[in-house]
Amino acid sequence: MNYVHRHVLEDLITGFEGSSNPHHLAVLKRPTVFSVLARPGREADARNVLANLQGVSVRISGPGEWLVVSEDVAIDSLARTLQDSGTGLFDAVDQSDGRVVLRLSGPQVRKILAKCLAVDLHADAFPVGASAATQCCHAAANLARTDQDTFELVVSRSFAGFVFEEILEMGREFAMTAGFSAG
Amino acid sequence: MSAHRLSSGGLVDRSRSLGFSFDGLDLKGYEGDTLASALLANDQLLVGRSFKYHRPRGIVTAGSAEPNALVMIGKGARTEPNTRATVAELYNGLVATSQNRWPSLKYDIGSLNSLLSPFLGAGFYYKTFMWPAAFWEKVYEPFIRRAAGLGKAVMEADPDRYEKAWAHCDLLVVGAGPAGLMAALTAARAGLRVILADEGFRLGGSLLSERVSIGGTAPSTFVETILSELAGFPWVTLMPRTTVFGWYDDNVFGAVEKVQKHIALPSLDLPVERLWRIVARRAIMATGAEERPLVFGGNDRPGVMTAGAGRTYLNRYGVAVGRKVAVFTNGGSGYQAARDLAAQGIDVAAVIDGRPAAGDNLPNGIRLIQGGGVVKVKGRHRVGGLLVERSGFEESIDCDALLMSGGWSPIIHLACQRGAKPYWSDEKQAFLAPDVGRQLLPAGSASGLSGIGACLRDGVAKALSALASLDLTATSPDVPDVEGEYDASFAPLWYVPGARDKAFVDFQNDVHVKDLGLAQREGFGHIEHTKRYTTSGMATDQGKLGNVNATGIIAGMKGVSPAEIGVTTFRPFYTPVSFGAMAGTSRGEHSRPVRRSPLHGWAKKNGAVFVEAGLWHRSSWFPRDGEKGWRQSVDREVMNARTNVGLCDVSTLGKIEVFGNDAAEFLNRIYSNAFLKLPVGRARYGLMLREDGIVYDDGTTSRLAENHFFVTTTTAYAAEVMTHMEYCAQVLWPDLDVRFVSSSDQWAQMSLVGPKARLVLQQVVEDDVSNEAFPFLAVREVTLKGGLRARLFRISFSGELAYELAVPAGYGEAVADALMEAGRPHDICAYGVEALNVLRIEKGHVTHNELNGTTTPDDVGLGKMFSVNKPDFIGKRLSSRFGLTAADRLQLVGLKPVDKAKEIKAGAHLLKEGAAPSMTNDQGHVTSACFSPALGHPIALALLKSGRERFGEKIVVWDKLRGEEFVAEVCSPVFIDPDSQKLHQ
Repeated sequence: MNYVHRHVLEDLITGFEGSSNPHHLAVLKRPTVFSVLARPGREADARNVLANLQGVSVRISGPGEWLVVSEDVAIDSLARTLQDSGTGLFDAVDQSDGRVVLRLSGPQVRKILAKCLAVDLHADAFPVGASAATQCCHAAANLARTDQDTFELVVSRSFAGFVFEEILEMGREFAMTAGFSAG
Repeated sequence: MSAHRLSSGGLVDRSRSLGFSFDGLDLKGYEGDTLASALLANDQLLVGRSFKYHRPRGIVTAGSAEPNALVMIGKGARTEPNTRATVAELYNGLVATSQNRWPSLKYDIGSLNSLLSPFLGAGFYYKTFMWPAAFWEKVYEPFIRRAAGLGKAVMEADPDRYEKAWAHCDLLVVGAGPAGLMAALTAARAGLRVILADEGFRLGGSLLSERVSIGGTAPSTFVETILSELAGFPWVTLMPRTTVFGWYDDNVFGAVEKVQKHIALPSLDLPVERLWRIVARRAIMATGAEERPLVFGGNDRPGVMTAGAGRTYLNRYGVAVGRKVAVFTNGGSGYQAARDLAAQGIDVAAVIDGRPAAGDNLPNGIRLIQGGGVVKVKGRHRVGGLLVERSGFEESIDCDALLMSGGWSPIIHLACQRGAKPYWSDEKQAFLAPDVGRQLLPAGSASGLSGIGACLRDGVAKALSALASLDLTATSPDVPDVEGEYDASFAPLWYVPGARDKAFVDFQNDVHVKDLGLAQREGFGHIEHTKRYTTSGMATDQGKLGNVNATGIIAGMKGVSPAEIGVTTFRPFYTPVSFGAMAGTSRGEHSRPVRRSPLHGWAKKNGAVFVEAGLWHRSSWFPRDGEKGWRQSVDREVMNARTNVGLCDVSTLGKIEVFGNDAAEFLNRIYSNAFLKLPVGRARYGLMLREDGIVYDDGTTSRLAENHFFVTTTTAYAAEVMTHMEYCAQVLWPDLDVRFVSSSDQWAQMSLVGPKARLVLQQVVEDDVSNEAFPFLAVREVTLKGGLRARLFRISFSGELAYELAVPAGYGEAVADALMEAGRPHDICAYGVEALNVLRIEKGHVTHNELNGTTTPDDVGLGKMFSVNKPDFIGKRLSSRFGLTAADRLQLVGLKPVDKAKEIKAGAHLLKEGAAPSMTNDQGHVTSACFSPALGHPIALALLKSGRERFGEKIVVWDKLRGEEFVAEVCSPVFIDPDSQKLHQ
C-alpha cells in the first residue's frame, strides 16, 4: 500500500495561485522538524553538537530545548544523525508532521508580523539567526529570522489553518500572497 | 450670524472645500477643519441636547475633553454614536446627526425635564425606583433604559476591519506639542528608537493654536521644521491620529490609531482603527493641560466655551466664535483671548475678571470689569447677553459669545492609571502627576509648567533625563527664543456666587452645584461617593473638565483644601475606544483559534457532523441517508462497533514524550498508581491526582524504551497536564533526570474497535497482531504494508477488542481510508464522539464528567489505583485526611430507570423515595447519561452517597429543571462485559 501524504494547508492553498507578490507567505511542503531536549547539565555540549550539523537550522524553543529544522535533510536521515550524535547529550523527537513551517518575506514583513506577535523584530533586538518561542495569532509558535526581511514561523499542525488565515488577513495591507514553497 | 469664518488666517486650506451635512443641512468646511470648527464657521452653535434636562448645548472645547458636542457620524452600518465633533476630522461627504433629542434638535420634547428639575436632583433614581419591587423589571428598568444613553448604536454588523499590533521603542513621547516635539528631537538625534504619538490629525499640539513667534518664525513653521527632521530619521515613528489611552505593567502603553476614520469610504485592505500595544523602555508624558470652565449661572449656553478653545478656533481654524465676544476669566488666558480677538478685529464686549486686581494688560478700548462675575447668560439656543454682578451691582452686557477661563489642569491621566494618586499643589493650584519613577516622566504643561519657552526647554530636559536613566548621553538641541508669550497665571475661582440659572459642574451629566451640595448633606461626601451619587465625572468624558471644579467646590463647601478632597480614580481608557478596535480581527469565526484534527478531512469525507469541543472541531456522529436525528446514527454506530467494527478519530488526546534516566521515577511520582516496573512494550492506565488528593486527569502511558515513555492525557487537559509536569520537574524535583515535549500534533491516532478489529488491522499491518503476539495493553512500533512506520497500542475505552493506531499526521487521512477500505467486507463504520461516549458509559469508564474536581480515585471506583505501597506521589498525603475517606462520600454507580421508557438526564439529583427535595436530603446526582443500544433502554452513571453498598436499591431521579421525577434502580456502573473478557479475546 502506498499512502499519500497530505499537507494540512492543502485545503487552503489550491495550487492555482498566481505569481508571488513582494510580500509572500511560503509554506514549506515537507520540512524536517525535530524537537531536541538536552540532558540536564549537558545543554552547552548539546548546543555545540547541534551547531555543527550540516543542512539544518537550530532554533531556541526553551531552556535546553531546540527545534532543528531542515528543508534538505530527510526525516530518517536526520533522525539517525541525531541519534548517533546525541547519545548521553540529548533526546530527539520527530515533529515533522506535527509542525508547519511558514516563511514570510518582503520589505515590510516586520509590519505584518507586528500584528501577529509581540516580539521586538528590530534588527538590533532580533538579528538574522535569532529565534524565540512566542505566541502568534493566539497559537504557540517558534519564530526565527532567517534573513534581513525573511522570518520563519513554526506552528502546531492543528492550529496551522487558523494561523495561516490570520497572517494573510494581516498581510492584506501589503497584498501578501501565499503558496507552497517551490523548493 | 455670530460665529463665522475669517477671510484669512489659520491652518485650514481655503482652496480645498469639503461638503458635509449636519441634521440634513448641507454645509461647507475646509480641509484641516474638525467637524466642530466647520460647524462654528457655519454659525451652528446648537449641536446637542444634554443628558438629563435636555438643555440646548454647544461646543465647549476644541479637543478631546469635549462633554457636549457629541454627535453621530456616518450612515447605515457605519454610524458611530457619541463622536466628539471637536476631534472628528472633517472629510468630504461627512454626515453628522445630533443626538438625544426628539423630534428635532431645536424643538426637543425631552426639554420638559428641565421643568421637573426640582424633582430630578442627584439620587433621584435611587430614591424613586425603590418600590414596589415588582415594578422594577416591568416599569422602572424599561423606562430608565429608554431614557438613558445619548447616541444609539446601530444593530447592523460593522462592515469595517480593525487590527491590533505591537510596537517597540526606546522612548515613547505622548503628545506632539512644544514639550513633546523637543523631547522627541533630543532623543532622535541621539539615535534612540522614538515613537511620537499624538491624538490630533496634525502634529503640533497647542503650538498650532498660538500666535507667538518662535525663533523668528510662526509656530506652525517651527513645528514643520522639527517634524521634517524627525521624519528623516529611520528610527523615528511619527504617529498622528493616535491616542495613547492607557499605561500598563512593564511600561506597555495602549494606543488607538484612527487609520481611516477621516475617509468616507474606507479601503477594505486597511483597518479603520488599529489598536497598538507600545512597549517602551522609557516614556515622556507631554500631554499638555486642560483649561477649566468656570462654574456660573447659565455656563452651558451654546456660545459659551473655554478661552483656549476660542483661541484655537480663531488662530488654527480661522473661525471667530462671535461678532461681539465677552470674556470671563480668573487669569491670563482670558486676557490673551481678548488680545487675539482684537488682533483679528473682533469686537470684545468686556473682560470680566473674577480677581479684584490683575497684572495683565488689555488692548486699548477693551473694557475690564475686575472683581466681577457672570450670574446669568441670556438667550436660549445661543448667547444673547450676560448679567454681570459686582458687589451687588448688576449690569447687562451685550454679546453673542462668551469665552471663559478658570485656570489650567495638567493632563496627568496616564501617570495615575496604575494606582498612584496625583497630589495637590498650592503653588500651581492644580493636581500634579505623582512621581512614578524613571519609566514615565511628565514634561511641559503636563508637569505644571506654563509658557511655550518653558515647555520647549522642559521637553529637552526630560528627554536628557530619560536618556541618562538608560546610561546614554546626548547633546541638547538649541531651544529657540519665544516672543509674545503671555502670563498664564490664575487665581482659584471654583464657584461664582449669585447664580440666576443652573451652574453646571459636569456638563455631560447635567450635574450642577446644588447636586454636589445634596450629596454632602446626604452622606455621600467622599469624592468617590459624590461621583456615584451625582454622576459627576462619569460617561464618555469622565470629568476631564468638571472633576477638578467638583473637588474645588466640595473643598469650599467643607472649608478645606482641595488636597483633602482629592480626585476620583484615573483608569484607562483616557478617551473612549471602540469595541471594534479592541476586538481587532477576533470576530466571527476568527473570534478564537480553531484546532483541526489530522483526520478532519477524512471525517468530513465520511459525512461527519462536527462539534466544537474547546478549540477543537471534533467529529460528533456520521449520519447516513434515511436516519432521522442524531440518536439513530449514534445507536447504529455503537451497535456496529459492538458487533462488527468501528473507526474513531482519537487524535485530539494530549500526547507527551518523556525521556530520561529518571523518567519512570518521575511518572511514579505524578501518577497515583505504580509505573516503575511497567515493562517496555506495555501500556498502563494511569490516574493523576492533585496535591489535595482529588483526581486531576487520566490516560494511558506506554513504555516505548527503558527511558522513553509516551503519556496520553484527555483532550481537555492536554495543556494543563503538560504545565503540571513542567512544574513538577522544574520546581518540585529539579534533581530528576527527566525531560519531555508535547507530540500531540505529530500523530494521527485512530481507534479501531470491535470484535472484527483484528481482521481489519491484519490487512494493513505487516506485524503479527494476533492475541498471543500482541495481547491486551501491548504497545509496539509496527510497519504498515507499504513500509510506513506507526505506533500500535492495544487499549480500549469502549470495552471491546480495540487498537489505537498512530501514524504521522500527514498520512492520517490515507491510513484511515485504507482501514475503511479493508473494513468494508466487515461492515466497518466511522463513529464520532457521541458514540464514543455511549460506548464508555456502557462500560462504566469515567471522563471529566466524573473526574469533576470533587472525586477521589475511590469515589469513582478506582481505589485500587491508589498505591499505598509507594513511598510518595502527588496527592498521597492529603488523601488520608478526614472527609476524603468518609464512608458516606459520593460513589460512582450505574442507574437504570424502572420504567424503561424514562430517559435519565445528566444533572438530575437523586433522592430517597418519599424524601422532599432539599440539600439535606440530597443523595447525589447523575454525571453521564445516554440511551444504551446494547441494553435497549436509557442508562446513566451517577455519584451517590455510599453508592457501592446500594446496588439494587430504588432511588428517585429528580430533575426540577425539566420537571421530571421517576424511580431508577441503582446498579454497577459497568453495564456490559463486567469481567472484561472481550478485552482479552
